Amino acid sequence: MAGHDLIAAQLDVLSARLPAQAVQELADGLQEAYEIHLDACGDPGQAARAAIAEFGDADTVTAAFFHHSPWRRAAVLLLATGPFMAVAWGATLLASHAWTWAVPLPVKILYGTALVTIVFALVMVVRAKRAYRRTRLAMVGSALGLIVLDGLTLTAIAITVSTPVWPMALAVPASLIRILASVRGTRAALT
Amino acid sequence: MRAEALKGHLDGLLLAALEDGPLHGYAVKEALRETTEGRIDLPTGTVYPALHRLERADLITGSWSVVGGRRRRTYELTAAGRTALSGERAGWQEFATAVTAALGARQWPATT
Repeated sequence: MAGHDLIAAQLDVLSARLPAQAVQELADGLQEAYEIHLDACGDPGQAARAAIAEFGDADTVTAAFFHHSPWRRAAVLLLATGPFMAVAWGATLLASHAWTWAVPLPVKILYGTALVTIVFALVMVVRAKRAYRRTRLAMVGSALGLIVLDGLTLTAIAITVSTPVWPMALAVPASLIRILASVRGTRAALT
Repeated sequence: MRAEALKGHLDGLLLAALEDGPLHGYAVKEALRETTEGRIDLPTGTVYPALHRLERADLITGSWSVVGGRRRRTYELTAAGRTALSGERAGWQEFATAVTAALGARQWPATT
């Protein structure tokens, strides 16, 4: 499809980073720009370089896709609400004397590790600028992980806490909202 | 014109470019460049993700066709997009009037 090796090389770079349909659309636009420049200057090499310059280099284009991606916005939202969630659940666990619960140490370690991994992955999603597909997968993994962790936490609270404590009024709805936000983030990353 | 100067106005500009009828991504960028006499000339590749975002917001709708053996995605305004464009225009005119009043024809202080 590409009219020049430079155009083909540019599309190869973009193909490795972006979804196939986005690359098809970019290929059409890049080819159109190339043909317009070729008509104007008559030199294929110069036309290809001008078309690529007009489009922006692969890093610029990929960064723009990241910037406008809905799942990146979801990741920012999940990270931004993290401190509130930490305070709400921290207060809930303190008020309900969570240290007296019979939770095996390996489970605590596994939960903590999963939470830290998810936060790390979300930071990576927000900061990433090149690996679009891999970052999108990281977003899916993070969102699903949060759904599981929030689900486990809510289940544990429902089973363990016989007398509700006041911070639960904040923490439980916040977790339910985060589950919904994570579902939306997952859907945005998969479509 | 610097890209950061367009912050907050890109959506309105893209919607305005589509006001006269359906266009594909490259044509949207060209329409924007022509109507602004070259003052706004975005890197073409950055226009596509912005169009995708507008499509997700149901302000424009896209459809695929095959042109010259290539798959092409063409966009057009939705009813919600036309409403949003009217809002962008009204907001911009209010903003421009206020900024013009603040920065515009102010007399230099007289020196004696």
